[in-house]
Amino acid sequence: MESLTSNQKVTKSPLFKFLILEFICLSLMIADKNHQLAQPVRNTLSLAAIPLIKIIEWPQDMYQIIQVALSRQAQLIEENTQLKEQLIDTQLKVQQNVSLAAENERLRNMLNATTVSPLTTSVAFVSNINQHQKKQHIIIDQGTAQGIHVGQAVLNLEGVIGQVDVLGQHFSHVILITDTAHALPVEILRTGMRTIAYGNGESISLNEVPTSADIQIGDVVVTSGFGNRFPRGLKVAEIESITVSPDRTFQTSVAKPYAHFERLTEVFMVWPFNTNTPNE
Amino acid sequence: MNKKHKQGVPYIMHLSILCALLLMLIPWPDAIIKYQPHWVALLVAYWSFNTASNRVMLVAFCYGLLLDILMGSLLGKHGMSLVALSFLVTKSAKQLRMTSMGQLMAMVIVLLFNDIIIRAIIDWLSFGYKPAVVDMLPLITAALTWPWIKYLLDRIQVSYRNSS
Repeated sequence: MESLTSNQKVTKSPLFKFLILEFICLSLMIADKNHQLAQPVRNTLSLAAIPLIKIIEWPQDMYQIIQVALSRQAQLIEENTQLKEQLIDTQLKVQQNVSLAAENERLRNMLNATTVSPLTTSVAFVSNINQHQKKQHIIIDQGTAQGIHVGQAVLNLEGVIGQVDVLGQHFSHVILITDTAHALPVEILRTGMRTIAYGNGESISLNEVPTSADIQIGDVVVTSGFGNRFPRGLKVAEIESITVSPDRTFQTSVAKPYAHFERLTEVFMVWPFNTNTPNE
Repeated sequence: MNKKHKQGVPYIMHLSILCALLLMLIPWPDAIIKYQPHWVALLVAYWSFNTASNRVMLVAFCYGLLLDILMGSLLGKHGMSLVALSFLVTKSAKQLRMTSMGQLMAMVIVLLFNDIIIRAIIDWLSFGYKPAVVDMLPLITAALTWPWIKYLLDRIQVSYRNSS
């Protein structure tokens, strides 16, 4: 306060300004953390952030356009045949699945079980933007304006990606399942055992499997649908290694996610079922 | 002359901080990201030192919030650390002007370290983040880039003053 002379007002002093700004920051943080009260502030400020994102994306878009323009016809034909083969493969699988689905439906009807409604999804594109912080985030090009909400499940064709963490007006941040702050209710497909998968930075780990439980390397981990955020039965990861915890009460297994997080271009947003969700 | 110079400085300031924001957003390879200095903090430190006015604090606050939006972090995290940085540099700017380049650099590094600590504490409080030694790596590159940034921006201001 030594800079405060008699003819200066208290409100002009740097310390006062500093304290006021820090107080605003603190209240914003508390509002943001607890009750989503800061969402309107976020929405308005996110409009100012869009030009910056566009500037970063622009050279990448240009590169893609140039790449398409310069790629040879032979390359395109090759890609085309490859895609056709893939399509035939998947169509064959679908044919097999149709009969299976019908059979499943019949059995479910006999048991009076609730039918599983199909997923409603929409496509969002991933912006390739550096995330200079401790959380594993990706940015997608949809936000509150498109009706995205916090906790919405995000997938791609390979498996589960994560869920929406922070919202903006026209973009939102998706937290990956490998983030250390993320937990995902899962089940082992082979045995149906349910547990929780925690992110550990590079892969996910299942820390709470009792030593007596049957779990093997190569087991497929799918979402269990608990918590009503992720629909049931989505592929998540494959068990890679199993170790027993030091106090011999649990076995810790590490699973490698199917999705390749380093080369995401488009993802699917899962919309919640409009009627009753299958609750086990 | 002096007045004209004063009018030009805000443009250079905003332009340079926007460039710093873009530098932070560019997707670098993973190996570089670890060493990437906190560009915005460096620029805020420079401008607080250069102008020694507490108007920079408000600028730091605004860019901090913008950074929070872009990074998806807790709203006000970067704002808080940048305002603190700006305040400390502004307070000691007069003394720092008298010192040598090396001492000034050491002071800036200490203040940037303080900036990292504030953000680590906020992360720890908000989602239980445990700090790692890797978080300190940006300080090395910040130390290496600081003289260049200072020289470059000083030159830009001088040439701007001469041209107008």
